[in-house]
Amino acid sequence: MKPENPILSGLALAGGLIFLSPVLYSIWMSFQTVNAYYSGGLEFTLDNYQRAVGQFNFARYLLNSVIVSGCVTVTGLAVATMAAFAFARYRFRGGDLLFGATVATLMIPSHISLIPNYLTLAEVGLLDTYAGLILPAISNGFAAFFLRQYIRGIPKALDEAAYMDGATPLQVLWRVIVPISRPAIFSMGLYIFISEWNNYIWPLVAVGKEDLFTLQIGLARLYRINPGEGLIDWPLVMAASTITILPVLAGFLLVERHLVRGITMGAVK
Amino acid sequence: MSSAASRFPLPLFAIDHVPPLVVTPAGSMLRKLTPYLFVAPLIAFIAMFTYIPIVSSLNLSFREWNFLSPEMPFVGIENYRLLLGSRDFWNSLRVTTIFTLISVPLRLGLALAIASYLVRETLPSRFLRGALFLPSVTSTVSIAVVFSWVFSTDYGLANAVLGHLGFGKVPWLQDPQLSLWVMIFVNTWKQLGYDIVIYIAGLQAVPQELYDATAVDGGRRFHVFRRVTLPLVMPTTYFLLVISVIEAFQVFTIVEVMTHGGPAGATDMLVNMLYRVGFVLFDIGTGSALAVLLFIFLIVLSFVKSRVIGRRVHYEA
Repeated sequence: MKPENPILSGLALAGGLIFLSPVLYSIWMSFQTVNAYYSGGLEFTLDNYQRAVGQFNFARYLLNSVIVSGCVTVTGLAVATMAAFAFARYRFRGGDLLFGATVATLMIPSHISLIPNYLTLAEVGLLDTYAGLILPAISNGFAAFFLRQYIRGIPKALDEAAYMDGATPLQVLWRVIVPISRPAIFSMGLYIFISEWNNYIWPLVAVGKEDLFTLQIGLARLYRINPGEGLIDWPLVMAASTITILPVLAGFLLVERHLVRGITMGAVK
Repeated sequence: MSSAASRFPLPLFAIDHVPPLVVTPAGSMLRKLTPYLFVAPLIAFIAMFTYIPIVSSLNLSFREWNFLSPEMPFVGIENYRLLLGSRDFWNSLRVTTIFTLISVPLRLGLALAIASYLVRETLPSRFLRGALFLPSVTSTVSIAVVFSWVFSTDYGLANAVLGHLGFGKVPWLQDPQLSLWVMIFVNTWKQLGYDIVIYIAGLQAVPQELYDATAVDGGRRFHVFRRVTLPLVMPTTYFLLVISVIEAFQVFTIVEVMTHGGPAGATDMLVNMLYRVGFVLFDIGTGSALAVLLFIFLIVLSFVKSRVIGRRVHYEA
């Protein structure tokens, strides 16, 4: 890296802050009182957060989002890694076809399955359940494809050595492949978690019971029902919005590089 | 790769050559099944929630059903006829097409311009990249709510800024002439960072010697950009072009939260119409017909994309 030009650094900082100003301001606003917000005064409070959590159930929505995104990530990774292992290491009848079908899901627009999946889950009584939120999101063709490419890059000699020692295929996967693939699995896990965390249309369709709302559904509804009389209670809405983005925001600041790597590897390589 | 397969008769084809005395029929069976067991969960989920729904949608699109009645009579192409004869459908198609035709070139043009400035690994450029990328991983609902505030008429940020500059209040989300532009703006704000990151990856793949060679030839900055950069990031551009068109045609959340398709249908996108027909009006047949039409259109685009990616591979090799 070259020594920094202070003017350029200042411009970059200013540009970035201006670009993000709506979100930054919304976080600032979430600590203001309604009166201060509408009268332009300076008066800060945690009351908006207390109301979002107490009166409007956002603690529950947060829990639901964590449960749903967590389960989708863990099961999605497990399912994708196992399939990726088979696609990378075995030649079997129909294997190419199944791999093709997996990759093709990347091109299938998700809206087509909205109505049928709703009907399927209604039929088996899984609407308004966690399972109904989780099951349709588990298969992730992109993760399977990405991990298969990664596993193919791992020398086969490592598998062979383990088989020599009498390991079963499952042990080879768990003891050899998974530890080496950790960076790729981590990137994919982030990608799946964030996509699921921000998912809106499926929870909107699959859940009617307020107890099962995810943060996205809860936030959209809080904004729509407009708890201020006449004037929207923007500070309350922004507190709810901050609760919704904060986990991903915090994660992003910690692991930006992994995330960017996952995304660009998928697109460019 | 092949040597490993022949030395270790795990995968299948080799298994036929293993003496029957060594491998019991049951063991051999299990080994043959191994890869299938590994892929079975993924394939089951994909079949259940991705492939079978395509067939069901097609089937449902030829039927009349409101989700409650016990019968779902076959009505042929009636749903498609109804859809193609409705003003809502053509309005949604028009609005979605305008949205796509404006937002996609805007996104890609801005992204390439910004990416070529941020391609160097300096601290300010890394910071700006992070800032620009952040919205693409942020909740779309939150962004839509925040921008509902930004563009609200009486207390929004946009009108506050305009007010300081001496302009009057603009009813951004209430004016049918303006609301679609707000949707384009918000969508661009959210997606731009993703495009930039992809472009930067594409630009970094361009060998530095090419720039150096052009510089030695006395190429000016714009000249270098046009003659070297632009052609070499063409594959990246194609890739982004097709995925962002597909994405733009499926835009839903921003509109659903900010305008519900209004005012007067000015921002009513195809997927918002699909949601309304299928899950508010519970007209399963017409909703499915709409889903099938959009599906066919997007699949055609996807094939264009896969051809392009195929071309990219040749390009790099």
